Amino acid sequence: MIWMSWRQFRAQAVVGAAALAVLAGYLLWLGFDVRDAHAGYLAQCRPQGDCAEALARFARDYENTLLYLAALLALLPAVVGMFWGAPLIARELESGTHRLVWNQSVTRRRWLLVKLLVVGLGAVLVAGAASLLLTWAAAPVDAVAGNRFSTVVFGARDVAPVAAAGFALVLGTVIGLLTRRTLPAMALTGLAVVLLQFAVPNLVRPHLMPPVRADRAMTEQAINEARGLGSITNSATVRGLGVPGAWVTDVSELRTRDGRTLDRRAFDDCFSARDDPAAPATGQYGAAARCLGALDLHVELAYQPNHRYWPFQLLESGLYLLAAGVLTLFGLWRIRRRVT
Amino acid sequence: MPSDDTPPVLLAEGLTKRYGRRAALTDCDLTVPRGRVVGLVGPNGAGKSTLLQLACGLIAPTSGTLRVLGAPPAADAAHLARVGFVAQDTPVYPTFTVAEHLRMGARLNPGWDQRLAERRIAQVGLHPGQRAGGLSGGQRAQLALTVAAAKRPELLILDEPAAALDPLARDGFLASLMEFVAELDASAVLSSHLLGDVARVCDHLIVLAGSRVRLTGAVADLLAAHRRVLAPRGGLARLPAGVELVGVRPDGRYDRAVVRADRPLAEPSWTVEPVDLKELVLAYLTRAAGAPAGGVPTPAREALR
Repeated sequence: MIWMSWRQFRAQAVVGAAALAVLAGYLLWLGFDVRDAHAGYLAQCRPQGDCAEALARFARDYENTLLYLAALLALLPAVVGMFWGAPLIARELESGTHRLVWNQSVTRRRWLLVKLLVVGLGAVLVAGAASLLLTWAAAPVDAVAGNRFSTVVFGARDVAPVAAAGFALVLGTVIGLLTRRTLPAMALTGLAVVLLQFAVPNLVRPHLMPPVRADRAMTEQAINEARGLGSITNSATVRGLGVPGAWVTDVSELRTRDGRTLDRRAFDDCFSARDDPAAPATGQYGAAARCLGALDLHVELAYQPNHRYWPFQLLESGLYLLAAGVLTLFGLWRIRRRVT
Repeated sequence: MPSDDTPPVLLAEGLTKRYGRRAALTDCDLTVPRGRVVGLVGPNGAGKSTLLQLACGLIAPTSGTLRVLGAPPAADAAHLARVGFVAQDTPVYPTFTVAEHLRMGARLNPGWDQRLAERRIAQVGLHPGQRAGGLSGGQRAQLALTVAAAKRPELLILDEPAAALDPLARDGFLASLMEFVAELDASAVLSSHLLGDVARVCDHLIVLAGSRVRLTGAVADLLAAHRRVLAPRGGLARLPAGVELVGVRPDGRYDRAVVRADRPLAEPSWTVEPVDLKELVLAYLTRAAGAPAGGVPTPAREALR
């Protein structure tokens, strides 16, 4: 059965290996390029004794490239699920060859299990190699930026992408078993995995462990450090507040001293506050920041400290593997009962 | 009939399969002893494929029971090894070569007989390196039959294996089938709407029509129990006891009938002849189709070339 699974998987495996080889070549080049640049910046700044500015520039140089690569790695599970998972059973059902192979002396359950294991091993190898190389290539930048525990980057480092790829494979297989047609199965799998890649980092991951909560006074200076004020719904919020050494998962609306949400009119009024010509406000939000700062406001931050990075990697991987296991059991039950 | 202790090849009791509201098979009772080559005949949509797919476990019955070689179909790997199945349209893997199909058989079947498989492949003129996607219908059917037979099953099930083949390929296929059955000492069940094929290779018959079993038994017994009768017009209106009219149609100045009789017929005005298999089956199918006694309805005729 292993030979049979490999023989059927061979062509897809060759395509996967070729794509991986291209990606691996690029990541190797990138890894050395990153290290050269790192050494170059350090050589420049060391004589002056202050490297903080140079290293920040170094991290910015690679920020976009690494974000694109993280997005690419986030797509990998979708590709695995669509091209390796969805056709695994659906193509047999579509072409009628299940009537040939299911009448050999191998039960359907064993047939499905071995196929999943063989193709699953392929998925783990490809996703593992891609993730390992990207994690290695990005390591110096991650060390400077300190943001590997963030919404996008986290899913493209270490073991999380490997578990996601394994899960996507099983999901595609089971969808193929249910739809019994290859193309609809591929489309549904692609859609489902992409949706999950948005849902897991934003809706599931922040709650894998109870976050630490902290209160922060929003002084004029604190407001000027935020990335944005207000929202599309024009609520009284500040966006992009950071906590050093942590992944901020939630920021409450601006609250007044007695804990109530800031009145929206008071918030709006501050935006039309006029500057004091005697002492003009200097921050990026100018008079608005000074006005809000004078209101004695504060927010509640929820965050996951960076030392939880590995527990989170393992928790998220465990969740994906658990889901893959449940889906596999469902597939084994379903294939035994009624398919044709 | 052999009366040994081995369970029958097929034993169905009240076997029923419905797809939604449509009944594909209704309340079938069947017993097929070992060592037979069973012809399963009937028009398209009669339930032949359904019965065979139930027998190899590809689908499960709605109600009733079916035991194949004494066990539920496809009960486990050991049972799968005892039944060989050639599906309708004889599916093969187009990207696999002929040799890879044999390798698949060898890997997936503990009782695989590689020498038998290779010999057969050579006999029917297949090249091991050929891709199955490029084979003709007849070659593909031979390949599928070889894969099903070289695992040395006790029962071979074939679903319309020769329907799409030209006469020459069909002839070669049936010859191969009979050689396998003899060599493996196996039983076989094949469905067909080609009565000539059935008459040629089968010694046991199941007639299915409208999802029900209409006639079943050993061909020799069935032929012995039925007669063709030529009687003057109207001469069949009253039948002697123990004689059942299966079908009748006018033939010139006579009525031509197929009757079931459990005793010799001695009516002086009748001409009594042995019936042939084709006429017998047509008579039962015509009756099942609810046709007027005047003739065979066109669909049944077309379905049974």
